[in-house]
Formats: sequence, C-alpha cells, structure tokens
Amino acid sequence: MRKLFVTLIYTILVRPWLTFFIGVSFHNIKHLRDADQFIIVANHNSHFDTVSIMAALPSKLRKNTCAVASGDYFGKSSLTVSLMKLFFNAILITKKVKPGELSNLEVLDQRIKEGKSLIMFPEGSRGNPGTISSFKKGIAKLLKENPSVPFIPVYLDGFGRVLPKNKILIVPLICKVRFGSPLFATTNDIKTTLEEVKKEILNLKKKNERDRNQFEFY
Amino acid sequence: MDIFGYYIPIELFFILCIIFVVLIICSSTFGIISLMNKSDSVSELVVRTNSWWKMAIGITIVATAPAIIGTIVLAYVVFVALREMLSIIPLRTADRTVLVASYFAIPIQFYLAYKNYYYLFQIFIPLVMFISVSVILVLTGETNRIGRSMAIIPTTLILTVYMPSHMVLLFHVSVSGFTVGAGGLIIFLIMITAFNDIFQFTWGKLLGKRKILPKISPNKTWVGFIGGVLTSGVLGGALSFLTPLDYIKCFYMGLSLSIIGFIGDSIISAVKRDLKIKDTDDLIPGHGGAMDRLDSIVLTTPTFYYLLIFFIEN
Repeated sequence: MRKLFVTLIYTILVRPWLTFFIGVSFHNIKHLRDADQFIIVANHNSHFDTVSIMAALPSKLRKNTCAVASGDYFGKSSLTVSLMKLFFNAILITKKVKPGELSNLEVLDQRIKEGKSLIMFPEGSRGNPGTISSFKKGIAKLLKENPSVPFIPVYLDGFGRVLPKNKILIVPLICKVRFGSPLFATTNDIKTTLEEVKKEILNLKKKNERDRNQFEFY
Repeated sequence: MDIFGYYIPIELFFILCIIFVVLIICSSTFGIISLMNKSDSVSELVVRTNSWWKMAIGITIVATAPAIIGTIVLAYVVFVALREMLSIIPLRTADRTVLVASYFAIPIQFYLAYKNYYYLFQIFIPLVMFISVSVILVLTGETNRIGRSMAIIPTTLILTVYMPSHMVLLFHVSVSGFTVGAGGLIIFLIMITAFNDIFQFTWGKLLGKRKILPKISPNKTWVGFIGGVLTSGVLGGALSFLTPLDYIKCFYMGLSLSIIGFIGDSIISAVKRDLKIKDTDDLIPGHGGAMDRLDSIVLTTPTFYYLLIFFIEN
C-alpha cells in the first residue's frame, strides 16, 4: 500500500511536474533497462538532483533504490526524516558516528549486500553550478567491496540554476538528467577507481555540451 | 457544418482536411522510402514529419476549440518558449527573482488578451513589466552587470510573450459577413509562416547562390528570400477564403508576413550564433526546441494582427 502510494505520487505528480513545469528531460534511460542492482553516481548541485533521479527510474527499480543523504542536514526534524525515508528510501549518514554503531561505509555495504541499489553524490555537498569538485573515497571503497555491482554515472545539468544551495525560490529552467551505461570498476585501487568514476561523469558532461553546442549552419 | 454536433465552418474543415491529407501522403511516402533506404537523411525526414503531426494536431485544437482552450494552449506554448530562452541566455544567480516575475507575466498577459482589455494588454509588458523588472533587479541589490540583465530580460519578454500573445486577440476580431471566425485567421497566419520557411529554404536550395546574411545564416540566399516572398504572397492570395479580406489584400499580407518571418528567423539565428548553439533545445524531435519553430511566428503574429485591423478598417 505504501509502495503503491509512492509510485502513484511519482507517476501522477512528480514526473509530470518535473517535465511539463520545471523543464527536466531524461536522456538515455534505456541504459537502466537491463540493470538490476547498481550504484548511481552523480554530480550534486541542488535538492532537485535526488528527486529527478528517483523520478527517472522505472518504478520497479525505484522501490529498490536508496538515496544516501546527510543525516546532519536532513536529520534535524522527524518529519523530514520520515518524508526522506518514504519518498527516497533515504539512508541518512552522519559525519560523527556514535560509538558502538556501524560506520557509514559498513551501513551502505550492508544495504548493498541486502540487494539494494544506491544513489550517491560523491562530492558530498552541493557545489557551484557547472563545476564538479573532488570526490570522496566512499564510493570507490564500496565498489571495491562489491565487485559484482556496477556503477551508473549520471550527469545532471542545469539543476543548480533551478534551485541552488541556500535558496528557496524554484525557477523553471531547462535541465537534463543524462544516464551513462552501467560500468564495473576495473581495478582494486581506490584512487584509480575514483578517477575512473569522475572521468565517466565528465565524459557525460562533455557529451551534454556537444549536444547543445553542435555548431552547424543551416 | 456539424461534426458530432460540434460546429466547424466549412472553409476551416476544408483547409484542415488538406493539411491532414498532405501529412498522410508525406508520412506514407517517407515510411515506404525508409523501408528501402535506411540512411540518416530519410529517418530525419520521418522524425520531422512525426513532429509535424503533433504540431498540426495542436494547431487544430487552437483553431477549432473554444477560445478559452486555445488561450490556455497558446499560453503554455509561450511558457515553454520563454523557459527555453531564459535557459540559453547566460544570466546571473541574482536574476532568479526576476525570472519568476517574468513567468507570472504570461498568465496576466494572456488573461488580458482573452478578456480583450486592449489598453492594458498593450502596456502590460512594454511598460509595467519593463519597470517591474528594473525595480526588482534594483531591490535585489546585486549591481555587477545589472544593466545587461535590465536590457536582456524585457527584450526576451517582448519577443517571446508580448508578440505571440497577439494571437489571442484574433479571437476578438469580428467583421460583419465573416463566418469563418478566429480559427481561419489563426490557420492562415500559421500556414503562411510555416510554408514561408519551407519556400525560402526550397528556393534557396534549388537556385540560390548569393548569400543574403553570410555571417548569420549562410543558407539564406537572395533567390531564396525573393522566391519565398513571392510564393508566400501567392499562397496568401489562395488562402484568402480564410480571412475577411479579398485576395489582393491577402497577397500583400503574404508578402509582408514572409518578409517579417525572415527577419524573425534571422534574429533568433543571430542570437544562437552569439551563444554558440545550434538549437535552443531538443524538445521537438527533428526540429530542435520550441523557439526554433516559433522564431518566425513571434514576429509575424503582431504584424498579421495590426495589418488585418488596418485592412479591415480601410
């Protein structure tokens, strides 16, 4: 019942609102067709990032996908926590882990072992629009621990202008969610994996700009 | 004549039949060709024709449905066009408040047009929005490159909201003895503008040599321009049964719409060259964004409206 409610909200409200009002378009969702379990890795500029990726996923996959979010930011009130858990299956991680509890990495690893997919923003916090800051190591460690799980690079374009950090006004402007194909980490080295992941996202960014800037007279 | 109890003027029904017959012929021809020849240019034609189908259905709804539905559809199209323009123009983060205000101009402008509050309609964007945009920008307090935003946002509003909103005023044109109604005027305007693009392109491809605007759009030639203008005039005369004017006035109307359509096309092309983009978006497969399709119609709509009023009164 709860899952049906969430699916309905996404298909009747969120997705039409995103596409027809805000101006979000989804590209290459076909890469998700054969996907089963994955870790989505995306750049992070806005609160819209998680919503858009969740809305882009087919409902079958959405049920099984958890967004990794900051417990320090979203864990302040119990209402946000329950909303995050309801709509994003959020896993809230905090910087300071209480003694005796599992570390953040162990929590995420456990979820992957349970068969869940993850959405991660390895930049950590929302950065400036158009720039991709350095990645945190957690994603590479997870990929090393779970070699059978692929990562899907996603480039999010324009969301930093729709709702930037520290702003509450939402402005409808064209944004793009561009999925890459599922890939496996080629090495066990954490630094190399991290660079690989970042390179894939930058490739998608380049592709996005090439699509837009294809300079051809007609 | 009545279709399922819904009244459609016979002239309008006739022209809509022609449009859809042409589309069916195009679709089936390209479909058969694409079965034999799987090259990119053929599949591009198929994609373009499919998009034309959707646009033709949209135009049919605007032309035949009650004015309120036509107004809402047009307002949404204008919203998409404005969103596209504001997305491709590099603006500052401080301009976001003004952008929200610009979006609110659309429902107000279309409400004024729908209610036929003529004076308010005339001054709302050129005067009220011009002042509001500057005031909001000043209140935002970010002075760095503020003049650029003060210039660019009202211009965008005039181009993408004020100009096409004149199409709603066509619902209020009433001439004694003219039974086709606003639908005929809208179809006339859109057909001349769309076919003018095609005529200019075809003449230029067939015979064109000397470029008319080499720096802005190298595919536009003098032969294409002049041939397009004359052919559009002839088409205008042939479609005179959709308007309250005689065929000579419709010939002149075709000529003027063609020249103005060319100018509108060139303006948007020049902006796209400046921003180093080919299309404004990829909303309509095979055509680019909404603004790529609306580039000539934004200027032809007010031209058509005021010329029509002039011709009716004189």
